[in-house]
Amino acid sequence: MSSGRIQFLLGRLLKSILVLLAVVVLNFTILRLAPGDPALILAGEQGAADAAFVDQIRKDFGLDRSVPEQLAVYIKSLATFDLGLSFRERRPIATIIGERLPATLILTLTAFALSLLIGIPLGALAARRPHGMVDVALTTVSTAFFAMPLFWTGLLAIIFFSVWLNWLPSYGMMTVGAPLSGLAAFLDLVKHLALPASTLALFYISIYLRITRAAVLDVMGSDYVRTARAIGLPPTRIWREHILRNALLPVITFASLQAGHLIGGSIVIETVFAWPGIGRLAFDALLQRDYNLLLSVFFVSSVVVMAFNFLADALYVLVDPRIEAGASA
Amino acid sequence: MIGFLRSFASRPSTLIGLLVFLSVVVIALIADWLYPGSPFRMVARPNLPPLSTGYLMGTDMLGRDLTAALVHGSRVTLSIAILATLLTVAIGTIIGAISGYYGAIVDDTAMRVTEFFQAIPSFLFAIVLVAVVSPSRLSIVLAIAIVSWPSVARLVRAEVLTLRTRDFVRAARVGGLSDMRILFSHILPNAMSPLLVSASVVMATAILIESGISFLGLGDRNAVSWGYLIGTGRTAVRINWWLSALPGFAIFLTVWSLNLVGDGLSTWLDPRKTETGRHP
Amino acid sequence: MFLAHALARLSSALAVLCCLTSLALAQKSGGTLNLIVQPEPQTINLGINRLGPTSFVGSKIYEGLITFTPKLEPKPALAESWSISPDGLTYTFNLRKGVTWHDGKPFTSADALFSFQKFLPAVFFRSKLVLSEAESITAPDEHTIVFKLKAPFPGFMQIFEATGGTIMPAHLYEGVTDFRNAPANQQFIGTGPFKVGEWRRGSFVRLVKNDNYWDKGKPYLKEIYFHIIPDANSRSIAFETGKVDVLRAGDVENFDISRLASEPGVELTEAGWEFLQPIGYLHLNNRRKPFSDVRARQAVAHAIDRKFIIETIFGGFGREINGPFYSSKPYRDASAETKYEFDVEKAKKLLDEAGLKPGPGGIRAEVELVPLPYGEMWQRQAEYVREALGAVGIKANIASVDVAGWSQRLTTFNYDIGHNFLYTFGDASIGINQTYLSVKGDNTGTTGGNVHGYSNAEVDDILVKAAHENDPETRAKLYSRFQQIVTKELPLLWTHEMVFPTVFRKKVRNLTLTGLGTNENFADVWIDQ
Repeated sequence: MSSGRIQFLLGRLLKSILVLLAVVVLNFTILRLAPGDPALILAGEQGAADAAFVDQIRKDFGLDRSVPEQLAVYIKSLATFDLGLSFRERRPIATIIGERLPATLILTLTAFALSLLIGIPLGALAARRPHGMVDVALTTVSTAFFAMPLFWTGLLAIIFFSVWLNWLPSYGMMTVGAPLSGLAAFLDLVKHLALPASTLALFYISIYLRITRAAVLDVMGSDYVRTARAIGLPPTRIWREHILRNALLPVITFASLQAGHLIGGSIVIETVFAWPGIGRLAFDALLQRDYNLLLSVFFVSSVVVMAFNFLADALYVLVDPRIEAGASA
Repeated sequence: MIGFLRSFASRPSTLIGLLVFLSVVVIALIADWLYPGSPFRMVARPNLPPLSTGYLMGTDMLGRDLTAALVHGSRVTLSIAILATLLTVAIGTIIGAISGYYGAIVDDTAMRVTEFFQAIPSFLFAIVLVAVVSPSRLSIVLAIAIVSWPSVARLVRAEVLTLRTRDFVRAARVGGLSDMRILFSHILPNAMSPLLVSASVVMATAILIESGISFLGLGDRNAVSWGYLIGTGRTAVRINWWLSALPGFAIFLTVWSLNLVGDGLSTWLDPRKTETGRHP
Repeated sequence: MFLAHALARLSSALAVLCCLTSLALAQKSGGTLNLIVQPEPQTINLGINRLGPTSFVGSKIYEGLITFTPKLEPKPALAESWSISPDGLTYTFNLRKGVTWHDGKPFTSADALFSFQKFLPAVFFRSKLVLSEAESITAPDEHTIVFKLKAPFPGFMQIFEATGGTIMPAHLYEGVTDFRNAPANQQFIGTGPFKVGEWRRGSFVRLVKNDNYWDKGKPYLKEIYFHIIPDANSRSIAFETGKVDVLRAGDVENFDISRLASEPGVELTEAGWEFLQPIGYLHLNNRRKPFSDVRARQAVAHAIDRKFIIETIFGGFGREINGPFYSSKPYRDASAETKYEFDVEKAKKLLDEAGLKPGPGGIRAEVELVPLPYGEMWQRQAEYVREALGAVGIKANIASVDVAGWSQRLTTFNYDIGHNFLYTFGDASIGINQTYLSVKGDNTGTTGGNVHGYSNAEVDDILVKAAHENDPETRAKLYSRFQQIVTKELPLLWTHEMVFPTVFRKKVRNLTLTGLGTNENFADVWIDQ
């Protein structure tokens, strides 16, 4: 790789780190502005306290230092990939996030895969005959799902599939109290995943359907497709080799942007279905003013997004020779 | 005007969307006339089911009229959504336009900021903002705008980037017009159509975000919005289903109609896609 | 020799077996109990946290010296027996022998001494406060612990049940000084009938039977699952579909409780809150206008229909209350109480007298109302109060707060009307004093403190005296006078005696046997399969 490219990538890396730093500093500051002193809350939960006792709590939790000092300590520990301790649980945050991350990833990745696998083909189908019966039906229905508040779709799904039909479990990630293993455990997980993942997917399917449809229509109107048609290429070949392939590009760009958000999970879905993921963890941390924990959720999700972006840039540099000149992307 | 409507609303879905949305707007405007007085008043026996005499949609756990609450709620919800949309579009347009027009370091900085917003989970960030400023209509509007503007900024930036090399802009520059003048009276008007479409999406999303915030129990308690109604009724779905079902339906209808209108707008403003896109 | 030993063991085994089988006629061993803990506790170590969720789970793992019957008589737990000297100064507890911690180490007086001398006062301010009444705490032998008090303090017995006087394992804390951050806190080693099996964060806590429990033959249950379900509807559905066997107050709406209780095979009980005695409070900020005027406070009492609060907002679960003492509290004197009936005209008249005349729009005063962010019933109560006060010309604006914001507003006097509910405990000296004793400055985070900013020298004097008065008759007089004063001066409004219903499937037996209700250790709970 030439030095120009390396330089470009290094610059990109530096910028990513700057953005990360901004995420930490800004969120740290915002959280400190929130009403409610964590030490006082803890003192209050004891039923009684005096000033000396509160001071002791502050000291125990490192809240006795000034805010800039706390920030400095925090950033320093982040630099060594140490997320610190949660105020409330007195356990390492890395452990706490590690316990919750798999659940979130299972849920969001499943929903993500479902929405791509269903949304893209349906979008392409809709675009084949714009304003035809299929298109109108598909866009109308998908717009409808897009318009439903997520918790609402979730509640409807629970009442229908769990209460009335009694087909699927309504909450949690596994059958509590049933020591399953192997295939049985996997099937149990799938059953629990069914409702939350499809609720989330229904929302995203409509997005991918619309994007794909628009992209296909865009490509269909482009000069080269017209040319291909004019020179009499068979429609199926035009469709496959020219339209679909080109239309997928914006869809994939959008999907890669979404990927990072998968880490943040969905607070609403996790609440409705009692899914033990990151979103709910972050929400509880907010309510309990567990600053370190909440900050870390922001931090971890930002790191992943930045990593994705950086990776995308790196790929871009490798395939696109124009970057050589050092032009900003 | 008639001609505009005829061409704009030629698709049945757009027409339906437009009608639904306009009726919501009308209901919001005449709410005080339809149901005078505060919707918080306790007027009847609690927990009356829908279709009770005098209370079309029933009453809530305190004996408040749900129909009145829904009617007044349309006003609060729409005002939150409209304000949030205006703010979002304003911030997004200014930042997007400036960064697209000036490029270089300005653009770079602006893009880092949008990257920042892409990096953090936006709904969570909105909730944190609302909790920090303490929940109120204003803080909800601000939070929605703060997490929504980057997408508008990106859109406007892209439009400005393509427009600024056009001949009429060059001509204006040669003519010695100020940057601001060129930007706001020559470039932006030409970027209006995608902006309008994205505004309708922003507005639909704003309604959904507000309802999500209320669902989690962080809404404003002094104003009846649809989100508020869902927030208060959400724990009782198994007993008084209508308390959250009907406001949920109202949100659904409004957001749906906004999306249909948005679709219609984009087709109408950019007919190229459908004219030439028609498959043989 | 060997044979004799073996025979002895066999016979004792047989004896145990015979007892077990005879018991089995009544109680059946085995089975899994499915409960809900809401919200997920931050820890299940009862020694370092006393919040509701921790108490619910931790009370099965850790134990106190005693527990309380529904009539609030002390009942043996880790202490087999006890005696109080006639002068009320010496408390002697004889500890149970042959008790082991979950890690196999024996439980002795050293553990009790460690808990009361070091651990609890360092971690809980309230423990520190009450234990400072003791001049000395000693352990004359391995199975005795003696508290010598500076002055009589009749409420002293109240602190020895599991959630107030949790006995912690001394051997895990050797050399530890920072108890709050001690790694041993994550080990959850107690003496209780259940041990920690697994805690899958965000999903469930599983407790398993402690086979070496000191009360032979118990516990009956094989395991307990605490499901973690953050949404009220999902909790309700989990009960309906039989995934969980018990719902506690607050798990679902009170309306929903009544609906679920009417299903076949489901039972409802209001028992189990005798020890905690919860009361709903409407704090009125005595330090700020308009409620610095006693007439304005009395007007609020007349303006609010407290029957409506009980019947409509809390779904009929609750009892009328007119003073600071819960109906079953010792020394309650209903005849000393001034009552304020629901009367809008009286309220208006009092406001007129207080100089709060109606201004434009009929508004006499504008106040800030801070609701209790503990769920929809409390929000609804705040909305009702806003409407009720509006009817007499007081415009109340509801502040939107989460728990942290609520706590800060209340404890720093940054509100006019604040909603709250408090556990007032068995003896007045434990649960009542700090709510009425004058405070300087703010309440350092103590939402159960004197957050209304009430200050009356006579009340201060009475409360301190009564807490240290050994003679029941003199105590009764003091407390009557106290009830007379505060119901007249009305530093706050007592909205209702809270009734916390528990619904459960009928197959669950012995669920709420003691005054601690579902915070009991569940050694006696069994399932009729």
